[in-house]
Amino acid sequence: MFKRLAGFMVLFHALTAWAGEPDVTEIIEKANRAAYYAGKDGRADVAMKIDDGKGNIRERAFTILRLNTGEVDQRFYVYFKAPADVRKMAYLVWKNPGREDDRWLWLPALNLVKRIAPGDKRTSFVGSDFVYEDVSGRDLAADHHELVETTDTQYVVENTPKKPDEVEFSSYKVWIDKDTFLPRKAEYRDKSGKLYRRVEALAVTDVDGYPTVTESRVQDLVTGGSTLNAFSNISYDLGLVDKIFTERFLRRPPREIR
Amino acid sequence: MKTLLTDFSLKHPWWIFSLVLLATAGLALQFPKVHFDNDPENMLRADEPIRLYHHEVKERFSLYDFVIVGIVNEDHEDGIFNVETLGRIDDLTGQLLSLEPTDRGEIRVTTPSRGDRAAQTATLDLNPSDLFHRLLNVAFRHNPNRLFDEEGHSAIVGRELIAPGVVDNLKQAELGALKLEYLMERPPRTRAEALTIRDDAMGNPLYRGTLVSEDGMAICLYIPISEKTFSYNVANLVETLTADWPASDQVHITGLPVAEDTFGVEMLVQMATSAPMAGLAIFLLLLLFFRRLSLIIAPMVVAVISIVCTMGLLIGLGFDVHIMSSMIAIFLMPIAVADSVHILSEFFDTYHRFQDKAKTVRSVVGHLFMPMLYTSLTTMAGFGSLAFTPIPPVRVFGAHVAFGVGLAWLLTMTLIPAYIMVFVPAKSLANLQPTGLAHAPGPMARFLERFGRISYRHWKGILTATALLLAVAAFGISRINVNDNPVKWFTEDHAIRTADRVLNHHFGGTYTAYLTLTAPESSQVNAETVAADVTERIRDRLSLIFPDAVGQFLGDIQATLRTHGHDASALLDALGPKAAAIDAQLAGGWDLLADEINYLDPEGLDRSGLKRVVAGLTGVDPAITATLFSEIERVDPAEGADLQDTALEICDTFTERRFSQVLAECRTAWFAPAFKRPEVLRYVEDLQRHLAEHPLVGKTTSAVDALKKASFELNYRQPGAEAPHPAPANETYFAVPNTVEAVGQVFTQLEGMKKKDSLFHLVTRDYRMANLWVQLKSGDNQDMEAVVTAVADYMAAHPAPDGLVSDWAGLTYLNVVWQEKMVNGMMTSLASSFVVVLLMMIVLFRSPLFGLLSMIPLTVTISLIYGLIGLVGKDYDMPVAVLSALTLGLSIDFAIHFLQRGREMTRQRGSWKAAVAEMFREPATAISRNAVTISIGFTPLLFAPLVPYRTVGFFLATIMAVSWVATLFILAALSRGLERWLYPAQNVPAEPEPSNRKEKCHV
Repeated sequence: MFKRLAGFMVLFHALTAWAGEPDVTEIIEKANRAAYYAGKDGRADVAMKIDDGKGNIRERAFTILRLNTGEVDQRFYVYFKAPADVRKMAYLVWKNPGREDDRWLWLPALNLVKRIAPGDKRTSFVGSDFVYEDVSGRDLAADHHELVETTDTQYVVENTPKKPDEVEFSSYKVWIDKDTFLPRKAEYRDKSGKLYRRVEALAVTDVDGYPTVTESRVQDLVTGGSTLNAFSNISYDLGLVDKIFTERFLRRPPREIR
Repeated sequence: MKTLLTDFSLKHPWWIFSLVLLATAGLALQFPKVHFDNDPENMLRADEPIRLYHHEVKERFSLYDFVIVGIVNEDHEDGIFNVETLGRIDDLTGQLLSLEPTDRGEIRVTTPSRGDRAAQTATLDLNPSDLFHRLLNVAFRHNPNRLFDEEGHSAIVGRELIAPGVVDNLKQAELGALKLEYLMERPPRTRAEALTIRDDAMGNPLYRGTLVSEDGMAICLYIPISEKTFSYNVANLVETLTADWPASDQVHITGLPVAEDTFGVEMLVQMATSAPMAGLAIFLLLLLFFRRLSLIIAPMVVAVISIVCTMGLLIGLGFDVHIMSSMIAIFLMPIAVADSVHILSEFFDTYHRFQDKAKTVRSVVGHLFMPMLYTSLTTMAGFGSLAFTPIPPVRVFGAHVAFGVGLAWLLTMTLIPAYIMVFVPAKSLANLQPTGLAHAPGPMARFLERFGRISYRHWKGILTATALLLAVAAFGISRINVNDNPVKWFTEDHAIRTADRVLNHHFGGTYTAYLTLTAPESSQVNAETVAADVTERIRDRLSLIFPDAVGQFLGDIQATLRTHGHDASALLDALGPKAAAIDAQLAGGWDLLADEINYLDPEGLDRSGLKRVVAGLTGVDPAITATLFSEIERVDPAEGADLQDTALEICDTFTERRFSQVLAECRTAWFAPAFKRPEVLRYVEDLQRHLAEHPLVGKTTSAVDALKKASFELNYRQPGAEAPHPAPANETYFAVPNTVEAVGQVFTQLEGMKKKDSLFHLVTRDYRMANLWVQLKSGDNQDMEAVVTAVADYMAAHPAPDGLVSDWAGLTYLNVVWQEKMVNGMMTSLASSFVVVLLMMIVLFRSPLFGLLSMIPLTVTISLIYGLIGLVGKDYDMPVAVLSALTLGLSIDFAIHFLQRGREMTRQRGSWKAAVAEMFREPATAISRNAVTISIGFTPLLFAPLVPYRTVGFFLATIMAVSWVATLFILAALSRGLERWLYPAQNVPAEPEPSNRKEKCHV
């Protein structure tokens, strides 16, 4: 009986795939690649505006370098250019999906490289409304995924964490463009089911053949605060080498940053 | 004219009944609209600058009012830091954060899962179990389950909760890494884990003395609430959630909002019990004095109607019932009763002469009209004067008591006659015998007669004694302590007082005030000053190495100053490209070289390999390469990574010497916001150090504490770990970093902590305003004031850099401000009503001397009462301040009655000597009854659990006693002493009136 049912399920899945509708695993895989893995490597200048919802705006400018080092492993280099007091400050992240990331911090005014112990990836990224996971991507295996709606242009995927104790949300929904597979919007619900956070890709353009988000925003629906990222000078496949994602290059930033 | 109202009432009693009933019913119908306000903040007008500032500070720093829950374990060897208690605290934290309404408006909390235990969800009902309190809650429309706003959001602002499980901690982890996590990431499973949490908390200046007690026995949770009015219910919720905790884990709940809100709720209970009890006591006393039920019912009805109408009016006009106005009933009761008792008492005494109700009433009213009008008017003046104080609730109170007194007078003039016409059967009056002299004198009468004789014989002694007492009172008044503390409104053994004591013993203090330091808006930076600074730095740093370039650049500075001299920022902008050009020329080669070396693979790198690479570089001056290699020879590193590092370090010594670097430093030094500047932060540090020595300050917390902790943890090197250079001791890093850049970079780490934005409770996002969280061990105004003075003195002696301006906010400070206003307001109102009453008395007696004389008892009473308060060290607080108005109103009544009757009798008898014996019979008895009634009537207040009610009860009794003695003794003694001026040419007895009582009495 079980066998027969299982067989039926396989057949059912095969049929839906054959009918042209990708299944949810495929959608989120593709979305993940589109959002975080475009090209072999990439760079972008980011202008960040953090609005606390009361009219106070803080601005930061930094450059991001990214290199795909394996099927899923990646390295990130974040170099600050403004405001003046944090100029030359840098972060280095080795993203290791499935296990803890490695992180380093360079504080030039203290002449200090400090390793940051693995911890919560859902902490604020430099005081903005983005969390580290927004910047480097959330491990696909951390959530259950369900395709809840398919519109003419988008797939809507509902995600629930496998370990709800480790995150502050109870679920989040992602709207993924059918043509580019770029996630355009994500909405997070808190433990009591209320909507409290929204991440959006406000503008998308084609750069070197890759659909690329050039403006993104996070809104904190509780405090009214938001953070806007504007990306410029974007390029892909620069030929970055992995040695620049090391401690040595924290003290002396790589050429690609300048 | 005098009896116009009364005549109408005698003719149309039912008209009066209907009118009174209609008015009372109409005003009583306002009762359901009642809204209570127990917020002392409302002692200040809503647009009072300090209140506006307080809210601005709360808004800017995202501060909330806190319900403080202290958990104390004095039994366990590790104090509070044991596995079980920390587990319970974690449960409570989870429960508080999970608070949500069910669809049916009930409360749902979820206890988080722990170990094998799954998460549990429970629905709570916080309604009291006993019927009495349930009924009270219904009557006063208090819903204990109100823990959500209209949109269903929790009363608890979860993201701002301060508890071990949700506050950030920075600590060292393996491999010299820095760990960002919550102080109690998960409840401990072993003793070692529990003790680690203790050590982490103790090592963090933000938490030691605030979140955890320094003795390790207590932890405080600070529960932020969206509105102060939630605090009682939140406290109640915590009590319910911790009800099953073992006795060793004591739970104490405190904080000003809880104290204030609890007071409000208990105030309602008092209103529902104290006022009726006082009414009952007065009723029983009257019954004892007059032994005639029909006589007493009417005054009680007058009192009740006056109170109902006054409260109805207050509610109907849209005023909130405040701590003050809750006492209206208690203040009105004696005043309203007094007038009507006078009328009825006289009515029954004189009825036998007229044998006609209407005629008797006309005679009595005709006779008492003036003194009663004046006693009412003076009382109204006393309370009415409160309407001119700057404190809104006191104004409302004063105006409404004045209204109530006026109403009571009107009712006495109309309702009492109507009552007599309809409800007192003529038959029951037929056998009335004149009271008083016909009977054998009772103990009170005998006592009073002796009083009278003493007052006549020993008048000089009495006046001397009075003068002596007044001198003592003056001394007492000089020692009066203006002080209040809402927590002290509760009696010593109240749970809130206990919590206050216990928690202030273990912690830095539960009373919070915010000291803000603000840098002035845009302080204009002088371009010449900046130019001079740039010049000096360039000379210091670069003139030895690049003398030519320095000379050129200094010329550039002067030239640019001439063109951009108006704006320092533009000056630096203009110098930027020039510096960059010089840098490219001087360090460009080194940059290229270093870059190239940086990208080399250290694996197998040796000096010849390095030479090959360098030689192939274009754009690098051979002199530079030569310098590099001579330096390498000198240092003599090993091959590989060591060689590469050495080469880079050599390059660094040249690339660091940049003109643009100096310019960048100048820019941050001159344009960085105040609270990124080391000198400003060190000033704050010194101020905090100074405050820490103040005995009243338990603890201060600022962004500087957070900065120092973060600097320490970032710079920390594990002992024995390999260091590139000889490292200074770790402790030296527990300090404000030396440059603006270093401060900015450390602060940036704090901005991105796990609990987002917690730094911004202490400094604004633009770093131009800082908030020092000052914890006091006492909420007394005086103590707060002492700390305010200490800060002002310090800042005067040590002028702040950057022209920082200090200011205060916080509930503890707010109380100081309204106290100050209250004292000054009461002084003015007392003085002005004194003058008004004096003028009224001069008009009433048509004699300045009598007018002055009538003011003596109340002057003596007020002096003695406040002298007593000063001597025994009782704080001059809100109820005490208001008592002066009551004294004025009640004391003058005795004097009016005494002097009016004294004058009449002296006129009849021919001399004061002859009148004095008479005076100490019936008039003195009436005054004494009145005094005793009021004093005894308020004894129920002495058993109230709220101190202001007790104070009022005690002082009412004292005021009555002192006024009574002052009237009978001092006025009599003065009448004797001033007889010549008071009663000149009174040798001929006045023509006996037809109503001459003495004659009739002997019929």
